[in-house]
Amino acid sequence: MFKVFLFIMLILYSKFAYSGPFSDFKAGAGLSEELSSSPTERRNKPNSESIVQSRDALDSQNSEMWNDLQNELLGKNAKVFFVADVKIIMQDYIEEAHKVPLIVAIPKRLHNFNKLILLIENNPIQQVISLKPYRSIEAIGMNVRLEDDSPIRVAILDKDGNWNIGSKMVFVASAGGCSTPACDPAIEVCEPGIVGKIAVKEYEREAGAQRIKLKITHPMETGFVVDTDGEIIPEYFIKNIHVDDIDGPIADITTFAALSSDPVLLLDLSEKGQSVRVHVMDSHGLEFFSYKKDISM
Amino acid sequence: MQYFKNIIFIFIFLNSFQALSKNNFNIHPIEVSKNIYVFMGDNNDVNPKNGGAISNTAFIIGTKSILVIDAGPSYLYGSKVIEIIKSYSSLPIRYLVVTHHHPDHSFGLSRFIENGTKIIMAQSEINRYVKYGNRLLKQLKNLIGEDWFIDTKIVAFENENIKFPINVNLGGREIIIELYDQGHSEGDLIVKDLLSKTIFVGDLVFNERAPTIPHANINNWNKYISTIMDSNWDYLVPGHGKLIKEKEELLLTKYWINYIDKIAKKAAKNGMSPAEIFNKGIPEPLLKYKLAKETWIRDLPLLINKYEFE
Repeated sequence: MFKVFLFIMLILYSKFAYSGPFSDFKAGAGLSEELSSSPTERRNKPNSESIVQSRDALDSQNSEMWNDLQNELLGKNAKVFFVADVKIIMQDYIEEAHKVPLIVAIPKRLHNFNKLILLIENNPIQQVISLKPYRSIEAIGMNVRLEDDSPIRVAILDKDGNWNIGSKMVFVASAGGCSTPACDPAIEVCEPGIVGKIAVKEYEREAGAQRIKLKITHPMETGFVVDTDGEIIPEYFIKNIHVDDIDGPIADITTFAALSSDPVLLLDLSEKGQSVRVHVMDSHGLEFFSYKKDISM
Repeated sequence: MQYFKNIIFIFIFLNSFQALSKNNFNIHPIEVSKNIYVFMGDNNDVNPKNGGAISNTAFIIGTKSILVIDAGPSYLYGSKVIEIIKSYSSLPIRYLVVTHHHPDHSFGLSRFIENGTKIIMAQSEINRYVKYGNRLLKQLKNLIGEDWFIDTKIVAFENENIKFPINVNLGGREIIIELYDQGHSEGDLIVKDLLSKTIFVGDLVFNERAPTIPHANINNWNKYISTIMDSNWDYLVPGHGKLIKEKEELLLTKYWINYIDKIAKKAAKNGMSPAEIFNKGIPEPLLKYKLAKETWIRDLPLLINKYEFE
C-alpha cells in the first residue's frame, strides 16, 4: 500500500518537475535557490516573491559581487554610501537585453562630481563606463547589454572623496544580452555596418542647459558570442570616448563591451557647449573623429 | 487495490500522453467560407508553449488544386499543416503564398518545397529570408528550444521573376495575388479569393494585438490600409488575430502605427531617450491592445533610433 503511494508521488513529481525547454537553463548568479529553480515561471510573471528577492539582491550585503567590485574599482578603503537620490531610470523588466536604454539622473549636490562608474553586477563584463567630467553634468544616458537579472549600480565620486552609490534591480525576459548575437528575431539588425561613423546632436534644454547625444557605429563585440559556424567572434569594442568643445574637454569616458552595439551616449550639461566634438578610440587602436582632424596636430 | 491500479494506470497514461505532445502543434482549421480554412495562430509572443505558431495560416481548396497562405514557424508546423490538409482533400497543394519573410510566416516553407509546392513570395522578402534566416533561426532556438525547430532549414529557392499582380486558378475559383511593397515589410503579398470575397492580408492588418513595425514604412502602410478598407470583401483574414468582417476594425492597426510613429518623431526631435518615455508608462489609448507593453518597449527605441540621427 505504501509502495503504491510512493509510486503515485513519484509520478506526480515527475509530472510537475517538467518545466519545458528552459529546464536546463541556469539562472544568474547572486539569486537565491528558490528563485533560480524555476526561471521560466519567474521570467513569465514576476510576482511578489521576486520583488522581495530583488530587494534582497539589491542590498549590497547580500550581493556576492559587490565587495569584490568595490575593492577592485572604487579602491580598498573607499568611503561608500548607498544613497537614494542618485536615480537610474530604466525598465524593471527587460524584453530585449541587447539594447537596454537607461539614464542616470544625478542630484544637484553631485553635479560637479569627480568620477562616475556604471556597473552591471551579473554581467560577464561588469563595468560599462567610467567617466571623468570636466564640466557640470546633470544626467548621463546610454544603451547597455544585460546578460541576466542583475542589480545595476552607479557609483559617483564627489568632491569630498565619497562614493555615492545608486542602485536598481532589473529582470531580463530572455537572458544572454552579452552572449547571443544582437540580432533579435523581430528586429534583424545583425548586419555589421560601417565602423566608426559618429553622429553628434545637440538639444537645448531650459535655462541655457544642453543635452548632447552621440552615436558611434561599432559592433562592440563582447567576445562571448558564437557565430553561425560555431566560431567565437573575438572581442572588439570602443575603449575611449573623448568629448570636447572649443573651450576644452567636457568628458573623458572609458568604455567597455557591456555597452550595446552602435552605442548611443547622452550627456546633460548644465551649460551649453560650443560646437561639441567627439574623438573615439577602439580596442584595435583605430581612431575616429566627429570632425576633420587637423594634420598639424 | 483495484482502485489504486486504476489510478496508476491513469497517471501513466496522462504522462505518456504529455511526452508525446510535448512538441506537437495542437492546431485545428476553422472554416471561414466554403472550402476556405484558417489555422488561427496563438495571439501571443513566441514562447515555449506555442512553438512559434503565432500567426495565421490558411488554405483554399479549388476543384483542381489547393493554395496555402503562409508557412508557419517551422518544418514541424509545415508538416502538420500538410497532414491536416490531406485529411480534408486529396488534391495537390500546388501553391504556397508567403506574405512576407518574418519567421512566424516563412520558416515552414522548406517543408512545402519538399512537397513539390510552388512558393510565391516577393523577391525582396526572399532575399531577406535567405540573408537573415539562419541567424534568426538560431535566435529562435535559443528562445524556445531546439526541439521545436527540428529539420527546419533555410533554403535558397528559385523565383521565376514573378510580376505582381498574378492570377492563379485552383479550378472553379480565381485567386489574385497582389504586392504591397514598402509597407509593413519590404514586400507584403495580399491574396484575394473572388468567389467568397475573402481577402488574406498578412501582417498589413493585426487584429486585437499591437502591430509590429521593425521593417515598416508607416506612410505607405497607412495608405495600404485605406486601400484595403476601400476594396470589396466580406471576410478579411489578418496575419495575427481573429477574422474581420467590419472595415472599422482595420482602424485599430492604423491608430497604433500612427501613434507610435508620432511619439517616436517627437522624442527624436527633442533628443529624448526611450528610457524617459518608458518611465511614463504606456499611453492610455494603447493599453487595450494585446501585447501592448511588449510591442511598445520593443518598437519605440527602434523608431526613435531611426529618426534621431536622420
